[in-house]
Amino acid sequence: MRRTNTQGARPVTGNQTMRRMFGARRVGQAGPLLTAISYAILIVAVLIALLPFFYIVSTSLKESKFLFEYPPKWIPSPLYWGNYFHLFTRVPFMRWIFNTLLVSISVTALKLFFDTLAGYAFAKMQFPGKEVLFVFVIATLMIPFAAILIPLYFMVRGMGMLNTYWALILPPLANPIGIFLMRSFIESLPNDLENAARLDGSSEFTIYRRIILPLVKPAMVVLGVLTFNLQYQSFLWPLVAISSTDMHVMTTGIATQRGITVIDYGVFSAGAVMAMVPITIFFLLLQRQWIAGSLAGALKQ
Amino acid sequence: MEETSTDITSVGMPAAETPRATRLRLTPAEHRRLAHNYRLKRALTAYAFLAPNLIFFFVFLLIPVAWVFWFSLQSGGVIGPTEFVGLENWVGAFKDPLALKSLKNSLEYALIAIPGMMILGMIVALFLRNVLRGGAFLRAGVYFPVLAPIVVIGLIWVFMVHPDFGALNLIARAIGGKPLNFLGTTALALPTIAMAEIWRGIGFWAVFWLAALIGLPAELYEAAHLDGTSAWQRFVHITLPLLRPTILFGLVLATIYNLQIFDTVFVMTDGGPANSTATIVWYIYRTLFTYGNVGYGATLSFVLLIVILLLTLALMRLLRGRRVS
Repeated sequence: MRRTNTQGARPVTGNQTMRRMFGARRVGQAGPLLTAISYAILIVAVLIALLPFFYIVSTSLKESKFLFEYPPKWIPSPLYWGNYFHLFTRVPFMRWIFNTLLVSISVTALKLFFDTLAGYAFAKMQFPGKEVLFVFVIATLMIPFAAILIPLYFMVRGMGMLNTYWALILPPLANPIGIFLMRSFIESLPNDLENAARLDGSSEFTIYRRIILPLVKPAMVVLGVLTFNLQYQSFLWPLVAISSTDMHVMTTGIATQRGITVIDYGVFSAGAVMAMVPITIFFLLLQRQWIAGSLAGALKQ
Repeated sequence: MEETSTDITSVGMPAAETPRATRLRLTPAEHRRLAHNYRLKRALTAYAFLAPNLIFFFVFLLIPVAWVFWFSLQSGGVIGPTEFVGLENWVGAFKDPLALKSLKNSLEYALIAIPGMMILGMIVALFLRNVLRGGAFLRAGVYFPVLAPIVVIGLIWVFMVHPDFGALNLIARAIGGKPLNFLGTTALALPTIAMAEIWRGIGFWAVFWLAALIGLPAELYEAAHLDGTSAWQRFVHITLPLLRPTILFGLVLATIYNLQIFDTVFVMTDGGPANSTATIVWYIYRTLFTYGNVGYGATLSFVLLIVILLLTLALMRLLRGRRVS
């Protein structure tokens, strides 16, 4: 009855739940009828999830004036590439992709570094105020970002960072999720290795770098994916902090193309499709970790 | 305390500096001093490890929260300096129909969207649990919309519901129905935005519930199965009670997240028609960039903070209340 993990990869965290999710199968199997119904319903669900994407790809390949014709051509012929051409020539879309990736990757890298450090301190070190600080970190979870938008805008403006990468990279670093993830993962690691290293006279930072970091790699992949996805989507803050065309990220760049009177549906549809490309590539490369990453916050309550 | 003393002999001092023979001859005073130094050094190391995160929390979370309250007692500010006006903004907010409406719209949206996405996600998760072959593909397919930036979700649904070329309206016309102006009708606009968000949320919650479902103890289900219970009975009497903490935790997450709805509103309706999709965060954004009234925006921000805090604490109380019993 038990199915072994055919991909041969280790589960992404030491979590039993995760192992069961990706590997073993529960006993008490569904009957053939139920299985058939399940497949039917799931295929419908997948179609509902994917068809809107198909439709926007299809409209992005139509000239805007043909959008209004009825009956519609679901698959346009001939394919019209002008919307994409406009996207890359009329607006600096390549720059926006670059900005999005630069900001997302920077935030992810810094978050991974800071959160593994903090997670290690909370998991393995003794210091006065540990409980208080941890409760404080939990409490920050409840602060809605939108509520601090206005002071944050003035703070960043006061620092002269509006329209810079700093404005996009620094404020998102105040996010506590990764600390929880890293703390609970590092807590589950055995103490023997680090104690042995400590006896050899290693400093805490050496222990962190040589022993802890290699061991937390699975959790880092999960946190990395989570942070990257969150940052890639980010909209409200870049919308507030960025006003120059060249500094936009993809999301704000596309959304602010709405004209006063005319809506350029071509740029909207092509932009929406192009905004999906980088993230889809990452997703296909890291599918298992990606889904686990979106769960991590949920599982580690 | 015992722990510390073992630390001193085994960990605190490198063996080279204090040979084993001398270590036993430490006077109590020396012992105390070394223990104190060791603990101090250990604490400082820990603080150094926490420092990067704490600095960012302090600068980009704590100061803004304090500041937002101070701002709420001021007026003006985007161009000129602010002016102290006391509780004027607070009084104004309770008399401002748009403030009340945007708060009401946000809550109404949350009341449609949260149950919608959580229940549909649960249904998908229950079926996903039954399939083995192709499960990874189906899971990825259902999850795919979660990857899309929320702005893109908004744009996709603009194309789905447009009165002239929206896919839903084209289908409606093909089967003889009349096209609806989803985003141009006051009664339909907010539910349409909720529909777009639900569409995206299903994948997230399906995977969320699936992880929770697979973590449940299989023995209970086998026993219930042997007793001849129906699948529905097992769901209501075993799954739901066991998932209660997870459900409440999910509700906390969903409440904090959904009350801040903005991205889809911004690209789909920008608050219209007739403010029927004005939400609290949309209004905060507008007070800053259209009306230039910082103090009033800060007051609304503080209201949002309080609403989310109260709802979260209420849900957490429910969660804790159950765990004790």
